[in-house]
Amino acid sequence: MSETRGRGAAANLLNAAWLRPFILLIMIVVAWDLAIRIFHIPAYQIPAPGDVVKVLWTDWPELLSQTWPTTYATIAGFLLSALFGIPVAMLIAGSRTIESYVYPLLVFSQSIPKVAIAPLFVVWFGFGIVPKIIAAFLLGFFPVVVSAVQGFKSVDPDMVDLARAMKGSRFSVFCAVNLPHALPAIFSGLKVSVTLAVVGAVVGEFVGSNSGIGYVLQRSIGTFDLPTMFAALVILALLGVVLFWLVDRIERFAIPWHVSQRAEVFIAA
Amino acid sequence: MLKWITTCSTALIWTAIATATPAAAADKVTLMLNWYVYGEHAPFYYGKAKGIYEAEGIDLDIQEGRGSAATVQAVAAKSVNFGYVDVPTMMRAAVKGAPVVATGVLLQTTAMSVMGFVDKNIKKPDDIKGKTVAITPADSMTQIWPLFLKKAGLKESDFKTVAGDGQTKLNAVINGQADLLLGYVMDQSMKIKDATGKDVYPIKFADYGIHLVSSGIITNTDYAKANPELVKRFMSATTKAVEAAEKDAKGAAQSILDANPKGGKIETLTQGFELTIPLYRTPETKSLRPFQVTDQNMKDSVELMVEYGGLEAKAKENPKAFYTNDYLPK
Repeated sequence: MSETRGRGAAANLLNAAWLRPFILLIMIVVAWDLAIRIFHIPAYQIPAPGDVVKVLWTDWPELLSQTWPTTYATIAGFLLSALFGIPVAMLIAGSRTIESYVYPLLVFSQSIPKVAIAPLFVVWFGFGIVPKIIAAFLLGFFPVVVSAVQGFKSVDPDMVDLARAMKGSRFSVFCAVNLPHALPAIFSGLKVSVTLAVVGAVVGEFVGSNSGIGYVLQRSIGTFDLPTMFAALVILALLGVVLFWLVDRIERFAIPWHVSQRAEVFIAA
Repeated sequence: MLKWITTCSTALIWTAIATATPAAAADKVTLMLNWYVYGEHAPFYYGKAKGIYEAEGIDLDIQEGRGSAATVQAVAAKSVNFGYVDVPTMMRAAVKGAPVVATGVLLQTTAMSVMGFVDKNIKKPDDIKGKTVAITPADSMTQIWPLFLKKAGLKESDFKTVAGDGQTKLNAVINGQADLLLGYVMDQSMKIKDATGKDVYPIKFADYGIHLVSSGIITNTDYAKANPELVKRFMSATTKAVEAAEKDAKGAAQSILDANPKGGKIETLTQGFELTIPLYRTPETKSLRPFQVTDQNMKDSVELMVEYGGLEAKAKENPKAFYTNDYLPK
């Protein structure tokens, strides 16, 4: 007990989860700046971190307003991936027949580059937000399905048998045994999927859009405005981090009992 | 024993002759185009097919590009030796410090236009009012578009705009999502004709007082300093290739297809190239060989780019920094 009381606020701050990656980020930025100075890398190839920060500082209202359309498309696409991915995985895991028909085609479709078919979405669905949502959905769908199939298949059959032996209906067994057992794998798939959904939304914007961070990116590449281009990349990366963290929070809430959620606990006797 | 000796010596003599024949190894040179291949690029393929580059000791490799901006960066980074790009786009990079220079400006009038199907009857800027125009954000044409609007007496509020990449613009016009798109007179118009069989009418920016140079050959300044003779030979070969292609448009277009069977259709490639030829010269350079751009033309282009194209003002101080006619044949 006396050990934990001795730690001050400063020690708590140093151990905060967000600080360590932040420190690493600072180190990377310093290395980036040094590399530019030492190797005399010209501004039109790689911008100096200072210029990128300046753009983020001065243009933040416009950048913020452009982030919203990308965020909406990402979240909508991600939710669709989850909504369709998990039931499809249930079907695949539950039936050998469906698995043998559907799974190979799913893998096949995953290798089709979405950037090549994205223009078709614009032709079919116009220039609004729909093509972007579809692009985000298509990129995020596969990881959800693969991990969810893995999760559903790894349920301990003995537990299922036990629950059925205790007169559990198929549905209540599913809710009490199958789904909770599959959730850890599903969440890991969702985390991958949300970061891919960001990529999908940007691909959609590149192909046909007047707004969004993808549009800012495209515009800055055309005018050789590298600081803005890197600023847009930083924002996209941050968007991915924030969404990943949100899914992680939801995971902590949904499966607090799982081994991956155990925090370090010091017990001093 | 005797047989063995004879075979060996024949082989040795044969190898000696083969290697001794002085096939002075041709210089390997890469040229990266501004976009996927279309009619405008015919002279390069024609020159390669007719051995014009070979005669100057150049083994030319032509690569398709992904936009002038990307090609300029490749030339600046020395990933390719020469680029064929929109020279105003190159100026944007050069003024930010990219070590690139234009060794020959081929299109001395701009190829930019706003085009739509002939049956939509959009022949004058006034007809654009109320229509939908497809653009690609920040590409070379979209940056000059506001100047065209000014010269033509139009406002952004007079029409609708949709934005997308190159393929989306084409799809939009073909499928009726947009009435017009911004493009080069000889590129998108021909692609749309290939896809639909219907003719496209371009309203040319040049007809509305926009005097801007367009495509030209660029190279890395360090590369030019290190290999001046090679650059001279390349420009000499290219000049001859252009002159030969001008006289044989169909043959030139065919050479594109011979090198790249999926490069388009012969009729539209020929038509595209024929539309390019008038852009090679201005009234001042009518009797000159290709690439001989006048200083005045370049100066006007730089000033126009500074005023309306978003080029940094310091470019006006020395327009000659962007180009040189020193490597051209007389």
